Amino acid sequence: MRREAPPPNRVIGLLVLVAGLGWWLLATVSVAPNRIVPGSPLRAHEAAGWPAALALVLALAGLAALTWRPARRRLWLALALATLLLMALPAWLALAATSSVDPSLPQARLGLGAGFWLLLFCLSLMVIELRTRLALGLSAGWLLVAAVVSAWWLASPWLEPLALMREYQGRSDQFAGALVYHLLLVGAAVGASLVVGALIALAMRRHSAIERGAFTLLNFLQTIPSLALFGLLLAPLAWLAANVGWVNALGVRGIGWAPAFLALLGYSLLPMVRNTFVGLSGVEAGVLEAARGMGMSRRQVFLQVRLPLALPVVLEGVRITTVQAIGLAAVAALIGAGGLGTFIFQGLGQAAMDLVLLGALPILAMALAVDSLLGALTRRLDPRMAAGAPA
Amino acid sequence: MKSESLQGRHRATRLEIWRVPLIWLACLVLLAAGMAWLEPLFRWLQPDTRQVIYPHADFLVLLGRHLLVVAAASLLAVLLGVAAAILVTRPAGRDFLPLVAQFASMGQTFPPVAVLALAVPVLGFGTWPIIVALLLYGLLPIVRNTLAGLEGLDPAVHEAARGMGMGPGQILRQVELPLAAPVILAGIRTSVTISIATAALGATVGASNLGAPIISGIVNGNTAYVLQGAALIGLLALTVDSAFERCQRLLDARRA
Repeated sequence: MRREAPPPNRVIGLLVLVAGLGWWLLATVSVAPNRIVPGSPLRAHEAAGWPAALALVLALAGLAALTWRPARRRLWLALALATLLLMALPAWLALAATSSVDPSLPQARLGLGAGFWLLLFCLSLMVIELRTRLALGLSAGWLLVAAVVSAWWLASPWLEPLALMREYQGRSDQFAGALVYHLLLVGAAVGASLVVGALIALAMRRHSAIERGAFTLLNFLQTIPSLALFGLLLAPLAWLAANVGWVNALGVRGIGWAPAFLALLGYSLLPMVRNTFVGLSGVEAGVLEAARGMGMSRRQVFLQVRLPLALPVVLEGVRITTVQAIGLAAVAALIGAGGLGTFIFQGLGQAAMDLVLLGALPILAMALAVDSLLGALTRRLDPRMAAGAPA
Repeated sequence: MKSESLQGRHRATRLEIWRVPLIWLACLVLLAAGMAWLEPLFRWLQPDTRQVIYPHADFLVLLGRHLLVVAAASLLAVLLGVAAAILVTRPAGRDFLPLVAQFASMGQTFPPVAVLALAVPVLGFGTWPIIVALLLYGLLPIVRNTLAGLEGLDPAVHEAARGMGMGPGQILRQVELPLAAPVILAGIRTSVTISIATAALGATVGASNLGAPIISGIVNGNTAYVLQGAALIGLLALTVDSAFERCQRLLDARRA
């Protein structure tokens, strides 16, 4: 191959331009004396002084320069620089907090502005882009995320004036409870759908009539919007709770965990059944033939050949289901099911956007974490990939 | 699978093909227009409540607003999403392909509620912010599927088209897009389904649409309102989804 200078990485260039313009022209933070008064927007140099604002612009320019001739070593340096910038952002926020929030006002708070969000977003995209160009594995990605998260965590004592932190401090007990409850609701729905879904899938393999009927029904269920399904479950459950003793004793009501759990279960069944069914049916006939030829019993063929081969597809179903349930459980807060969605809808009701963030950011983080963890597990269990890997 | 029935010996008439979506549509419009006639039923369900039919707006108006928001957002999402996917698969935009592809698949793990909630601080309350939020979220499945459709084509098809003397624009219009159409349509179907559901949640951020009776019913403990809103949204979703299903079948039948 001829060696010639590779063309500039235009993606990083564009992201640097957008982030830089946003940083310079938009409000990066806003300062409010208390929770009710809308904050006054501050641009980067007004919030934490010229040196810090200019330093960031220089660093961004450095990123663009490093990727102008994107040799592998320069891309590594750019990745390190972008990660360092993400780690340095909390320090900048702490600086902005000390220089622009009046310490004599205990309720004064610092909100994040569009410029800051844009910078955060562009830097994250740059890290993703550089990771892809360098063809780094998943563990490298986790390492980067861990570094950035720990930097933010270490800086948190100095970030107290941040509006998000103020909202958190006001309800830290409630937050822990909501988080646990959210996870429980999702875990229970996904766990139940795994069992019920497997049973349905097995029944479908026996009787093709069930196959058509179940898929039609589950597809139908999946189409109904979540808010409507919660609403439609409300009336029958309330009736059951009022008229059937043991249902009432279970704690089932028209609102609360019962409709939330049932709706989550209903939505989870389609991906679960589909993937289990496809996984079990998709095992090659030749492989099964060989297993039978080795003298395996029906049970052995199922447990030792069919199930392990179907497992990656089943896990893919678990991944889709879990990510979906994490989001839907947030909607369930509307019908009094609790969980992190409570903060979202409370915040929307009070026009307190940092309270919305307190609910939405953990949900986002959970969805991304589950997606990438279960995705990694699926790839690890895939025998086609494991076969190529060193034993 | 079922497409044989469409292209078999006995060719179905147009109306027959669209029977299921039309039945759903009729149910939807009848229910929206005639909700007041069902008052005795709701009265029986909830004998102790004075008001049992959602009073703040006509159901047809709510349905119209819901449709308008979803249609505006979806139309823009289709235009922008397909254009973006075409752009990053051309030589000029190929640099952006890995990032766009990765973001489109990663973004779909974001829950729609979270996206809607996060859009509010940036865009404010009301109808426009919801359209923008729906548009942004609705882009992802369309971009992702269009990319999958365009990238999944056999390179030999490309080669053959070029060999026939087609230019890049001609190849795109006459070869690539028609071949990728089923996958793109599937993406649009996903996008619209999510939009209908998420628009209903828009009632919590000040939009007046079919979600409003549900939210109002939950807040006031009026199950009749909840049922009215939920039944209409459910019917709307089924109408649109079954229409898309027919479109996909027609497309498959044409290709076969």
